[in-house]
Formats: sequence, C-alpha cells, structure tokens
Amino acid sequence: MSFILQNLWLIPVLPLLAAGISALLKRPNRSLAAGLAIGSMGASFLLSCMAFAATHGKHGAASRQAHNFDWFALGDTVVRLGWVLDPLTAAMVVMITFVGSLIFIFSVGYMSHDENFTRFFCFLSLFAAAMLGLIIANNLLLLFMCWELVGLASYLLIGFWFHKPSAAAAAKKAFITTRIGDVFFFLGIVWLYSETGTLLFYDSGRGCLEQDALAKMVAHTTIGGLAASSAIGLLLFCGAIGKSGQLPLHVWLPDAMEGPTPVSALIHAATMVAAGVFLVARVYPLMEMQQAGVSEPIPLTAVTWIGALTAIFGALVAVSQTDIKRILAYSTVSQLGYMMMGLGIGGVAVGMFHLLTHAFFKALLFLGSGSIIHGCHEEQDIRRMGGIQKFMPVTFATYAIGMMALSGVPLVFCGFWSKDEILHSAWHYGPSKIPFFLGLGGAFLTAFYMTRQMCFVFAGKYRGGHDAAHDDHGHSHSHGGAHSHDPHESPAVMTLPLQILAACTVLLTLVSTPLWPWLPEYLLGEAAHVDAAKLFNAGTLTLLVVSGVVVAGGIGLGWWFYGLLPAEKPDEKDPLEQQFPEQFAWSRGKFFVDELYAATFVKWNARLGELCHDLDRCVLDLLVSIVGWTTTGCAHVAKLFDEFVVNKLFDAGCGEVRRGAEAASELQGGQIHQYLRSIGVALILFVFILAVGCNK
Amino acid sequence: MNTTDYFQLFSALAPEIIVAITALLVLAADLLGLQETPRSYRMSIAAGLTTVGCAGAVAWMFLNRTTGNWHGGMFVIDPLNETVKAVILLLTVFTAMLSVEAKFTRHCGEYFALLLLATAGMMFLASTEDLLMIFASLELVSLSLYVLVAFDKSSRQSAEAALKYFLFGGMSAAFLLFGFSLLYGLTGTTHVPRMAHKLFTLGVDPLGTVALVMVVVGFGFKIAAVPFHLWAPDAYQGAPLPSSAFIASGSKVASFYVFAKVLLLGFSQLGWGSDDSAMGGWMPLLSIVAALSMVLGNLAAIRQTSVRRLLAYSAIAHAGYMLVGFLALGGEAFASLLFYVTTYALTTVGTFGVLGVVEAQVGGDQLKDFAGLSRRAPVLAACLMVFLLSLAGIPPLAGFFGKFYLFAAALKTEGQSLPFLWLVILGVAMSCVSLYYYLQILKQVFVVEADERARPLAVPFLAHAVVVLLAAVIVLLGCAPTWLLTPLQEAIAELGW
Repeated sequence: MSFILQNLWLIPVLPLLAAGISALLKRPNRSLAAGLAIGSMGASFLLSCMAFAATHGKHGAASRQAHNFDWFALGDTVVRLGWVLDPLTAAMVVMITFVGSLIFIFSVGYMSHDENFTRFFCFLSLFAAAMLGLIIANNLLLLFMCWELVGLASYLLIGFWFHKPSAAAAAKKAFITTRIGDVFFFLGIVWLYSETGTLLFYDSGRGCLEQDALAKMVAHTTIGGLAASSAIGLLLFCGAIGKSGQLPLHVWLPDAMEGPTPVSALIHAATMVAAGVFLVARVYPLMEMQQAGVSEPIPLTAVTWIGALTAIFGALVAVSQTDIKRILAYSTVSQLGYMMMGLGIGGVAVGMFHLLTHAFFKALLFLGSGSIIHGCHEEQDIRRMGGIQKFMPVTFATYAIGMMALSGVPLVFCGFWSKDEILHSAWHYGPSKIPFFLGLGGAFLTAFYMTRQMCFVFAGKYRGGHDAAHDDHGHSHSHGGAHSHDPHESPAVMTLPLQILAACTVLLTLVSTPLWPWLPEYLLGEAAHVDAAKLFNAGTLTLLVVSGVVVAGGIGLGWWFYGLLPAEKPDEKDPLEQQFPEQFAWSRGKFFVDELYAATFVKWNARLGELCHDLDRCVLDLLVSIVGWTTTGCAHVAKLFDEFVVNKLFDAGCGEVRRGAEAASELQGGQIHQYLRSIGVALILFVFILAVGCNK
Repeated sequence: MNTTDYFQLFSALAPEIIVAITALLVLAADLLGLQETPRSYRMSIAAGLTTVGCAGAVAWMFLNRTTGNWHGGMFVIDPLNETVKAVILLLTVFTAMLSVEAKFTRHCGEYFALLLLATAGMMFLASTEDLLMIFASLELVSLSLYVLVAFDKSSRQSAEAALKYFLFGGMSAAFLLFGFSLLYGLTGTTHVPRMAHKLFTLGVDPLGTVALVMVVVGFGFKIAAVPFHLWAPDAYQGAPLPSSAFIASGSKVASFYVFAKVLLLGFSQLGWGSDDSAMGGWMPLLSIVAALSMVLGNLAAIRQTSVRRLLAYSAIAHAGYMLVGFLALGGEAFASLLFYVTTYALTTVGTFGVLGVVEAQVGGDQLKDFAGLSRRAPVLAACLMVFLLSLAGIPPLAGFFGKFYLFAAALKTEGQSLPFLWLVILGVAMSCVSLYYYLQILKQVFVVEADERARPLAVPFLAHAVVVLLAAVIVLLGCAPTWLLTPLQEAIAELGW
C-alpha cells in the first residue's frame, strides 16, 4: 500500500486539528489562528498533490484504491469505515485545498476589522475539514457524517454575524432547507444498507457500488415498479438537491450571502454546494444502473431535468438582481444546474469537469466582489457603484477574467470549454433536445447578466458615497482625508489570491480543450492524447460556433442595454425594466418562490402546529386535568391517611434508617478490629449462603 | 521437566529482572551519590531512572516476543500477560511522573525502589499459573504497598492508614493462604489448570466451598469489593497521593487479572455448582458481592466531601461493575474486563494527577477546594471533566465502551436465560447514581466561583503533560475502542480460553 493511501486521512484531519486548536485560542491570538488555518490547508494541499501524483498515470480499475478498517463491532456486525483514492477524490482534494488556501489568505485581509477573527478561522478550518472528509470517505455513513458537519459549519459561518437578524435567519434557513433533502438522503442510506448490508463504496468486490451489490439491487423491484437501485438513487439525489441548491430547494443559497464574503466564496466554489454534485458523481455507478424495460436510468433522467430547469431558472432570476453577491449566488444556482445536467447526460467527467473549472472562476468572482465590497465601504448594491475600474484596477482586471470565464467567452477561458462539453453531450442526448435548448438559453442569459453587472459596477462614474440620503450607513471607517468616501483598492493579501485564481482560470484552459482533453480524461481514469481531429470534426466545430455566437449575443445585448449609457443615479429605473416591466418584476421577485413557500409549506406547518396546540389543549389537557383532579382527590384521602397512619410509622422508620446510618458509619468507624471482624462475618455468611441458599 | 534452559529462562524473565535491577539502581544512586543534592533533583533522577527501567522492560517484551511455560506453570509468558504487564509498567511510569513534584518524603531512593518492587511483584503476579507463586508475588506487592502508604512519616493519617491497610491485608492474606492450602489438600497440586481438572472430577463439596470463599476473601481485599472494602477509604485518604494513585491503578489491574484467571482457569466448571452437590458455585457468590459493591460504593460516595474518599468509594463501585463482567467469564468477557480495568486505571491515574495539583496548590482535597478550577487551571479542569465523565460512563469516552462491553458480555452468558439481567439493570441504575457525585465535583469546578483572592494555579509541567496525555488517551480509546480491545481479544483467542 502506498504511503499516500495509508495517510490520506491526514488531508481532512490537519484542518480539523487546526479548527480544534484555534477553538481553544483566546481572541487576541489572531495571527496564530490564521497561521494554523492557512498552514494546515497548505500542508493538506501538498498531501493532495501527492494523492494526485499517485493516481496520475494509472488507468481503469488500477486508478482506484481503497483502504478500509474496522471502526467498532456490535456482536457480529462490524462497522467499517475507510477512504478511497481515485481520480475523482484526488482532483477534488487538490481543488478544495488550493482554492481553500487562497480564500483563507484573502480572509486575513477581509476580516481584519472583525473582532471574532479567531473564531472565524476556526469555523473556516472546520468547514474545509468536513468537506475534505466527505471527499475521501469510502463509506456512505462517513460521507453522511461529514455532510452534516459541512451543514453545521455552513450554519455557523452564514450566521457568523449573528447579531444581524437577517444573518441569523439565513443561517437557520440554510440549515433547515438542506435538512429536508438530508431526510431523504438518510432514508436512501438506510435502504441501501438494508439492501446490500454494507455502506462501503469499494471493498474489493463486496462494496455497495460494485458489481454484485448493484446487480442485486437492480433485480429487486419495489414500490411502483421501481428497481431498488433507482429508488435509492432518487433518494440520494434528494440530498444532493438540498445541498447543491437545485430546484425546488434552492431558496437557501442566495440568502446564504448574509455570511462574510469569503464564506460565500467557500460555499459557492469549493465546498458545500459542490458536495451535492460530488455525491451524485460518487454514487454514479448506482445512479446509472438501468432497470429492465426503461430506456434511460431513472435517477439520471431526474438529475438531467432538474439540472436543466435549475440552470435556466437561476439565470432568469440573476438578470434583475441588484445585490452584487446575490447575482453571483443565482449564477451559482444556474451553474450547479449545468453540472447536474452534465452529470445526468454526459457522465462523471462532464459534470465534474465543470465543477472544477467553476470552482476556480466562481471563487475568483466572489473574492473579487468581496474586494469591491470592502473597497466600497461594505456597499453591496451595484446601483450605488460604478466607475470603480479607476479606483481598483487589479480587482477590475481579475474580475473581468472571472466574468468572461463564467459567461463562456470562447477559446481562452476554461469555463467555455467545460460548458461546451455539457452542451455537446446535451445535443447528443437521446430522449429530448429540450435540455440542450434550456442550457443554451442559460448560456445566453449568463453572458447578459454578467455584462450587466460589469457595466453597473465598473463603467460610468461612481454613484455611491456622497449621496446624502444614504450617507448615514452606520459605517464610519476611519480612512481619513477628503477622499474617505471614495473606493480604495484592497491590500495585497486580498488582491494576490485574486491574481493567482485569475491565472489559474486561464491556465486551466490548456488542459481542458478537446484538443488535449487531459482533465476530463483524467477524471475518467483514462489517458489523454493530443487529437486535432476531435477538435476539428464538424459537430464540435458547429457547436463551438453556435455557443460562441450565443455568448457574443448575450454580451452584446448587455452592452447595448447597460454599457452604452451607464446609469447616472442610483435610483434610476433599470433599462430592462422600462422595456419589459412585467417580466422584470417576476425576475426581480425571484419568481416568488420564497413567497410561495411562505404561503404554503411554512403556513401549513404553522397551521399544523396550531392544530397540535389546540389538540393538546382541548383533548390532552382535559385528560391531564381529569387525571390531575382525580389525583388531587386521592391525595386528599391519602393525606388524611398519611397524617394519621403513615407519619407515625415513617417517623419510626426514619429513626431506624438513622440508626442504620449510624451503624454503617460505625462500620467505617476507623476501628480496625471491627474491620477485621467484618471479614470473618462475611466468610461465615458466604459459606452459609452457598451451603443453604443454593441448595438444589 | 528434567533440564532447564537457563539462558532461555533468563531471557524470558528479563523484564522482571530489569525492573528489579532498576529498583536497586535507584536505591544505590540515591544513597551513594545524591544525598547532598536538593530534593527536587533527587526526585527527578529517581523518577527518570524508573521511567527508563520500565521503558526498557516494555521494550524488551516487544522486541523479544516469546511464549513459554517454565517449571510447570510457575512462570508463564503469553501475549495476554505481556499486554497486561505493559499496562502495569505504563501505570508505574505515570505514577513515577506524578511523584516527582511530591514533597512528602526525604527518602527518594527508597520510595521509587519500593514502587519498582511492587511493580515487579505485579509482573510476576500476571505471569504465573501457580498458587504458590501467586501468593508470593501478591505478598511482594502488598508489603511494598503497605510501606508506600506509610511513606509520609510526618503525617499521622498516613501511618494510621498504613496500619489499617496492613492489618486488613495481613488478615485477608491469611485467609487466602488458608484457601490455597485447602485447595492443595483437595487436589494435590498448586498448578491452577491441573487443579481445575481435579476439582471438576471431585465436584463441589463443603471443603471446596470453604476454600472458594476464602480465595474470594483474599482477592476481594485486593480489589476492594464489599464487604472487604473497609480499608480503601482510609488508605486512599491517608496515603501520599502517588501511592494512592498506584493502589488505585496498577494494583487494581494486576489483581483483577489474576483473580479472573484463577476463577476462569481454576474454577471454570464450578460456576453454578454441580448437579450432584448441595453447594453453590462462585457465580451466585460473586453476584452478591458485585451487587453489594455497586450499591454501597455508589451510595456511600454521594455523602463524601473529601474527593479522595469519594474516589475510594467510586473505586468500590467500579469493582462491583467489573465483578459483573466476571459472571460471564469466557474469552470475550475476559477481554471486556481487561479493557475496562485498563481504561479505569488510566482514568484514575489522571484524576489523581489533577487531584495532586489541587492538593499541592490549594491545600486540601475537599470538594470546596475545587471551586472555580475552570478559571484557575482551565486545561486541568477540562481534563478532569474527561476523566470524571469517563468514569461515569458517558459516551464517547473510554469508560462508556468499557461498561457497554462489560454489560453486553454479562448478558450473553451461555446456556442460561439472562441470569444476570437484574445485575446489569442494577449496574446501569447505579451508574446513573454515580453521575450525581461525579457531577458534584464538576459543579464545583465549572459553576461555583472561586474565592476572590484565588489566583491561577501554577501547574508543574510534568503533571500537566501526564494529565493531558491521559485525557487524550481516554478520548481516543472512546472513539476507537478497538485499538485496545482487538489486541486483547486476539491474545485471548490465541490462548484458546
């Protein structure tokens, strides 16, 4: 067994240790906490690179190794845990530790004014540790534990500024919403265990994702003609829906913006939301089991459709938002839809490929927005920005790269290729062409709303700051001087991660084009070859051109709407709103999903609560009262009995106990001869008991 | 056996020899070279030598793994008793480290020499299957411990406790010897497995029963089970702190091991008495002792205000739990028992470590002396919480799995329909009671405010290190109990018990 396989557990444990230690630190130990967190992530990154090297160059089944061990035994049932090292794991841990380290470094600058700096880094490390544990787990139970830890850490971080009611509410919302998915996820786990008797993924032939178990599950038909494998796959996917913000459980994700911006970056790029996509990729062998009589695997069909709908839905909402982070949040919802769609129709490589590239440019965008917010004195409304390009050149340049990658500007940005891969497989999707067109529409909208955002934030002149009506924002930064309200560029500790991420976003392109599709092939455990024919075959080229045109259309239209005549004042009407007021209102209102939930589920739940309360009061309370009255009545009788009969006896009894206690204390009275006597007495008594008491 | 390979025997005995030689070395070094140097220096040297000696013995055992049986069971080496010996040596090292800061004596060399002699006795105790050897090593252990209890010559309490311990111990040793001689008279052998065979063919007769009860008396004294527990509160309270820690840990491990072995190997067939006899076996007897220990230990502990006495009563209660494990004696139950006693011993040493610091700095072992400890020494307070909650059996600490495995084993007794269900229920109920008095201490530590003048405690580095290390071990063994349990099970399976 290789060194790295043996020590793979260190990757999550190092950040966990950092979290544990910094939890014990006192508040003033700021640099120590940050150092621990960043150092542990750095060390994990090195280990991840070793893991990466260990899987690289191996193909097929040889690229997957698992290490299992006994956790504990209850009777004959041995619960085993373990970790697995395969390209999927390795690519994810490298991405998470790398992007995570950069986000940690960025946070040092971003959170520098916060008094709970130490606690923040403790939570960040816990978050990263949980996510890394989830990635390497070779046991669905272990994965679930880490999954819940991720949920906990996100709760703590989203609600980090818990003194803000909105942050506290957002944290609660995220926790509860994802919990809904988790209930089904857990049902799936339990069912899987009862079907296969193991939760290990890979266990040299006996794991639940291996041939024997899968064949057994697919043969077992349950409710509604579903094979057990399909039903379990659907249940597990419900967990992914909650975690990855898919319709209809996407509502928590935009609200999660209430957390500090580095947290948003971590949630949206490297951890949390990636967990759901990763789960689908991890249990892919189960998902793709095809039951007899159905043309496509049922779970994958669900994944595809939900993904495609989410992709277009997120994009539609993002078009009209005004909060810089909210736009990015809805774009994440939309991009996650793409990933799911990619998984559903193209397989593990397609979906995970987009997950990895997206992690880089979405982290870049979020950190960039953090830098902007920081520079604009905690202003998040894009209508109150504008012209920031002048003040923050580095942020502008890197943000532009992120924006182009997200929009899918052709050729030099990795986002283009990974999105193209998804559209490509959608085009060849047998059952329906609708996902393809939804995806294409989403791509168009993505380009449009990102251009809108860029124009609002960077073009024109600065609209914030001097506006008297909004001057009193409660933030009295002491930057001093006459320009105290002008935006300022962020310190190097914040811009450096941006530059590194921007560089990666471009460099990643080198290994992801169809010319040399090294990254996707690596994820599949296959070797990549330079193959020009693949790039220049007619289908690929046509699609390249089509999506290029669509993106160009989106950007052009955005520029036409927002770039030609940049807004002058913060409260101007949105140009799009002037054109399509009604549709815009729908989009601005996020299609009123939150309101719908508030009017239905939340209200029903409250009704149910009231009903229970009434039931409790009218029926149970009555019963309890009757019991109470009866008891009181009895008590009165008993009292009389007590006073005249029992008390006398009790007093006598108490005296007896007291005498007994005295006897006991005399037993322990320090008199050694009494101690010794007790041995003799015990001897005689025991012999007597054995001789008489056990006489058969 | 006609010829003995003395070299082989020497190599097998090497760990014990190393410990004995270390004892002499410590004594010689202290008496010859260090009389003029300051006490703290002498203590450190002696403790250091002790640690090196014990580490050497452990290293020898692990580098030179043999099994064997010399002189018809007089000296036996197998993987199981090597593990037990390693645990004992480890506990000795911890005790030595806790002793370094102690100020009760000027006779540093003698103190550590006695500690090592007691350790050597325990090691022999663990590695013999012969009644005579058991008795001889038991006496070596006991005599050393009597002196260790008396070691604080400036304290009348120490002397009184030692005298009580000695008289009580002497008396029960007499009973034990009487019991052994009756057994020899009945069976004509002192080798435990052969004796078992003979006893089985004889069946239970009155004489055998008397012998059995006497054996139980003798060992009941060592493990402080009711009604042979009376010495424990006095000894725990009066003795110098490291001595108490050692009595509560190392001595417990060795005694439980040998007691279980004698019953398992020697009386295995006589648990319920045989059909044609009028006498009961040891199972009903031990169930009474266990029930008494659990009830009396836990109830009496509630009333204590001295933490040392409280720990003594809690030790009595724990002896009761462990005796429940005896009733299911078989391979798996034996492993559970050893797991329990090992984790219990480690926890107790840790608790005494914290207690030692508090006594040295605050000046007493009363409950109120622990007030506000969480502010005055946060790390110690956190560790104390781990220890006490583990003793109470709260998951995920080692104590929980100890109890869990033990009770689970007791419920799995073969051939009978849950004969000890009542004992297990009693044990669980009594664990709840025990939580009350453990939490009483923790309430003082975490809730009650310290005196205004109270300042942070200056915790010696070594005590800090030992306590934190032990707390970490307890948490680790709670999270991964199989690390200890599996080796024990494998060793027992290898022996085929």
